[in-house]
Formats: sequence, C-alpha cells, structure tokens
Amino acid sequence: MGKGYVFKRILYTLFIFFIVITLNFFIPRIGVEDPAERYYPAQGNMTDVEYEIIKQLTREQYGFDVSTFQQYLRYLKQLLHGDLGTSMQAGSPKVIDLIAERVPWTLVLSVSTMLIGVVFGILIGAYAAWKRGGWLDNAVLSASTITTALPGFFLALLFSLYMGFEWEWFPAYTDPNLVSSFDWSLDAILNVMQNAALPIIATAIGSIVGYAQNTRNSVISVSDEDFIITARAKGLSNETVLYKHVLRNAMLPIVTSLGMSVSGLIGGSVVIEQIFNWNGMGTLFLNANNTNDYPLMMGIMIFLSGFALLANLVTDLCYSLLDPRVKLGGARR
Amino acid sequence: MKKNSNNFFLRLWRHPKGRTGIIIAMLLVFCAVFSAYIAPYDPYDVTQRAEKGLAPSLSHPLGTTITTGQDIFSMLIYGTRVSLIVGLVTGICTAFLGALMGLLAGYVGGIVDTLIMRTVDIMLVIPTLPLTIVLTNIFGKSYFMIIFIFTIFGWTGLARVIRSQVLVLKNSNYVKAAELAGASRWHIMFRHILPGVTHLLIMSTALTSAGIMVAEAGLSFLGLGDPTAISWGKMLADAQSGGALLFGHWWWIVAPGIGIFLSVFSFMRIGLALEEMFNPRMKQGAGVRKLFKSLNNTYIQSVFDEMNEDDTPVASSGKEAVQA
Repeated sequence: MGKGYVFKRILYTLFIFFIVITLNFFIPRIGVEDPAERYYPAQGNMTDVEYEIIKQLTREQYGFDVSTFQQYLRYLKQLLHGDLGTSMQAGSPKVIDLIAERVPWTLVLSVSTMLIGVVFGILIGAYAAWKRGGWLDNAVLSASTITTALPGFFLALLFSLYMGFEWEWFPAYTDPNLVSSFDWSLDAILNVMQNAALPIIATAIGSIVGYAQNTRNSVISVSDEDFIITARAKGLSNETVLYKHVLRNAMLPIVTSLGMSVSGLIGGSVVIEQIFNWNGMGTLFLNANNTNDYPLMMGIMIFLSGFALLANLVTDLCYSLLDPRVKLGGARR
Repeated sequence: MKKNSNNFFLRLWRHPKGRTGIIIAMLLVFCAVFSAYIAPYDPYDVTQRAEKGLAPSLSHPLGTTITTGQDIFSMLIYGTRVSLIVGLVTGICTAFLGALMGLLAGYVGGIVDTLIMRTVDIMLVIPTLPLTIVLTNIFGKSYFMIIFIFTIFGWTGLARVIRSQVLVLKNSNYVKAAELAGASRWHIMFRHILPGVTHLLIMSTALTSAGIMVAEAGLSFLGLGDPTAISWGKMLADAQSGGALLFGHWWWIVAPGIGIFLSVFSFMRIGLALEEMFNPRMKQGAGVRKLFKSLNNTYIQSVFDEMNEDDTPVASSGKEAVQA
C-alpha cells in the first residue's frame, strides 16, 4: 500500500476528529446563554440570589468567565495535553482517570463476547454454508431473523430471569465490590469470570448468530465465483478448495464487520451493563447523565469518538493490506 | 396514478413475504388505533392495589404488574402506538432527508457533494447512543426528541445509496434533454430524478422503521422516552425494576418482547418484499431461480431468498442507532 494513501487517511481522520471535538465543545452550550446553567440547573428551592452565587462559582471553576472563543481555544489546548477535563463528582477526579478505571471492565465483557462470536460464528457459518440446506444452515437463518427483530437486551432479561434468578447458575447482578476488591489473585479472577458469565452469554448469542450469518453468506457468494469452479475443475480436494480458496476470500467482508464491531467495543454495551449492574463505561456514562456531570459526559464522548475513528482507520489500512484492489483505487469502494 | 398505486399494493400483497408483513402490520395498526376499545382495562390505572402481581388468568390474560397492579395485556395493546408512531414517522422523515441529501450530493455535486459526504463520515463516527442520552438531557425526554435524533442520524446510509443512483441517472438521456430544454436544477431533481429513486425510498422507509422500532425499545428501556407514555421498552424496564425477574413473572417480560418482535418482523418482511420487487438484480436472480425450480431443487430457491435478504444497504441504518 502506498505511503501517500496511509498519510492521506491519517490526515483525514485527524480532520474529522477535530470537527467532532468542535461539535462536542458546543453541545453543552446549546440553548443556554451560560453553560453554568447547564452544569447546575436551577433547583426549585433555590432563591435567585443563591442560584446567582452558584452560577458565579461554576463559571470561575470551569473557566466560563471568558469569551466563548477563548474557552474554545483553551479546550483545544487542554485536549492537546491529553486532558479530557475534570469531573463534577466529589473530589474532582480527572475524567481520563475515571475512564481508564472503567475501560478494562467494559473490555472484559466486549472482547470476550467478540472472540466467542468470531470463533464460533465463523465455524458455524462456514459449516452451514458448506452443507447448504442442512439443519445447521436452517437454524442459522431462523436465528438471525429472531436476533435482528428482537433487541439484544430482551434476551439478556430472559437469561437473567432464568439462569440468574430461577436456576441460580450465575449471579444475576454483579457483585458491587468486584472492582474495588480486585487484586489479580486466583479467587478474584474466578469471581470476575462468574460475574461476567451472564452478560457475556446474553450478548454472545447475538454476536455468534451475526458472524455466522455473515460468514455463511460470504462463503456462499465466494463459492459461486468462477475461480472456485476452476479450482474444482482442476480436481482439487474438497478440503483444499474450502480452506485455501473459499475461506480465504470469504474473510474480507468479515474483516470489515469485525472492524465495525471493534469501534463498538467500548461504548456499545450501555444497556447490557445497566441490566447486570456491571461497572463499565456504560454505567459510568449513565451515572454521569443522571448527575448532570457534563464534563464527564463530554469527555467520554470525545474518548469514544476518538476510539471509533482509530478503529476505522486501522480497519481501512488492514483492508487495503488484505485486498490489493484497494491500492489501485486509492480509496475504499 | 391511482391505478398505478393500486397495482403496487397488489404486487406487494401477492408477494409471500409482503403478505405476512402486511397482515401483521395491519393487525398492529388496528391495535394502535382502537386500543381504547380492545384493551379490557385502563392501562394507566395504577390504583388497583388488590390486583397486584397476578398471574395470567381469564380476567387478566397476561397478569398484572407487581408494583402497581396495571393490566399487562392492556399495556401491551397501548404500547403498539408508541412503537408504530416512532418507527413510521422516523422512517418517513429519514426517507425525506436522505432523499434530499442524496439528490443534492449526487446531482449538484462539487462543494455540496463534498460537504454532505463529509457530514456522513462524521455522523458515522459520533457514538449515537451517548449523544442521544446527552441530547435528551438537554432538550428533555419526549418521543419527538427521539424521532428528531434518529432522523438526524439515520439519513446517512440512505443518502449514500440515493447519491450513487442519482449519479447514474444524471447521465441518462432524458435528464440531459431536460437540461438542454432549460429546466431548472430543482425541477430536474424533483420532477425527473426523484421518481427514479422512489422505490428506494419506499423500501428504506419500511426497513428503517423496523430498525428504529428496535432502537426505540432500547431508548425507552433506558428511560429516555416520554416518562408518562406506555411503550414496550418502558414495560421491560418496569418489569426489571418492578421485580419480574425476582418473582419469575416471565409473562411480564415475554409480552412486550413479542410485541417488539412482531412489529419489527412485519416491517422487515415488507421491506424485503419491496426490495425483491424493485431491485433489478433480483429479477435476474429470479430468472436463475426459475431455472433451478425446473430442476426441482427447492432449496436453491431458499438460498436465493436469503441471499437477497442480506444485500440490504439501508437495513442497518436503524439498528446502528442503538448498539446494545
């Protein structure tokens, strides 16, 4: 892949990130003259004088006492230093620290879900496509109808009801001390696995079905291509055709969908985390929303969009490595 | 024109997928319009202290809620309204915005095209669910807000599809002729090019509506919808917080789930049927299918059916809205 292409892609990603940052800066300022009103909405039992004092303090604390343009420049400078701002929580923790604390816990769920989905999904999908019309093929097709027409959290609720409460296989709510008591001992790791089991199972089903259907369709469409017919005509064995010719070429669309799910690894499990009370990014964001913690919310937004952009960039570059045709065109599609 | 539209519905009705979709959708519309007559109890009545947490019985077909003693069957019927209204209105708004943006990008081109396509790129990166949460925090919780946000984020996929189609139509002789005749840009865009992409818009409305219904359930579940309305997502949230899991009241969870499934399923079927009707590539597929049919291989047919289902460029736009 040409150096110019990589450079152009990186530059473009930075440009988009800059626009996203600018949008982020203005979101808390929509509809109010003074962002302090957004940070501390007026309470019913406050007198005007009291509220004025609170607003004044907020302005000083968060630097709203200068012009909007100066605030914007300051915001950019702060982000350049890797500082996502200061949360309004007690003790004013740095947003970046709060995120760093939660990201691994979200990744525990999302990465294991993705791995289970990719491994089992590709195996099941390839087999289903190979035995077109077999029972597994039909099962994949009907399962995909069900998982697209039902929200993922509905299955999670059912699993929580049966595996969590009825049969008591796994804890239905995460142990609230899970994060604070974690110390890399064997017991702690086992405890995490036990608590994570239910959210992982609940989300993995949809993930497996998704990848299985993707693989199946991809394999079937590749199998119908001329070069596969040529390979068969040459007298190659079934296995050689499947592994060397079909699967290799069927991987391209799967890499794309993998890339798309990578960008959702951190921010994509808000509802699941809420159902199982899992202490990840999703619950961090929902709590920030409930307490009107705008610096934290906007910090998380920047972090998530930056991560998504990075994931897109890496997927694009990987894609151009895998598919030489991208080189010629200079851009995807 | 009237004859033409009749013909269109007839074709959809003759399509097996379309027919199941239409039947279920009609049933849901009937429930939504006449909920007040179908529902045996007032679903907003939270004062039935003696009737709390009943199991399904003849008088309460799906039991009552544990916390407030509301009749779950009546809530299920009323929940149809939110799902259908949010889904359909968003689907239609998205089609309008997507068509406008796609037409502008494709036909006007130049700086307009660049601006619109860069906006699409930005929209694809911004984490939708967190942004929706922030915006409901700013503008207040209402279904109007949800429709607005979904529309703002949902048009991107459709605009891309429309744009590429417009780029093809732009070079056709009849458009060239209209240009030479001195027709204005707007006239050409809306009178000559728009009819060429209408089928895409109708299809996208059905498929987007289906995706939005799933997404709406997720947002209502998180409590971002109108707190006073009854919706299926909110019913699930109530069931979770009201102890349905703890007491094993599966009917309280399964009921709204079936509601969501039916509504999404019916619109998906209609969308897929429309796609098969309109997409010329599919017609080629149909030719091959006939050939295979004559070989008496019914399975191949189902493979073609399913393969068609997967090439839906616009189907995912709604589903992306809530990735959870």
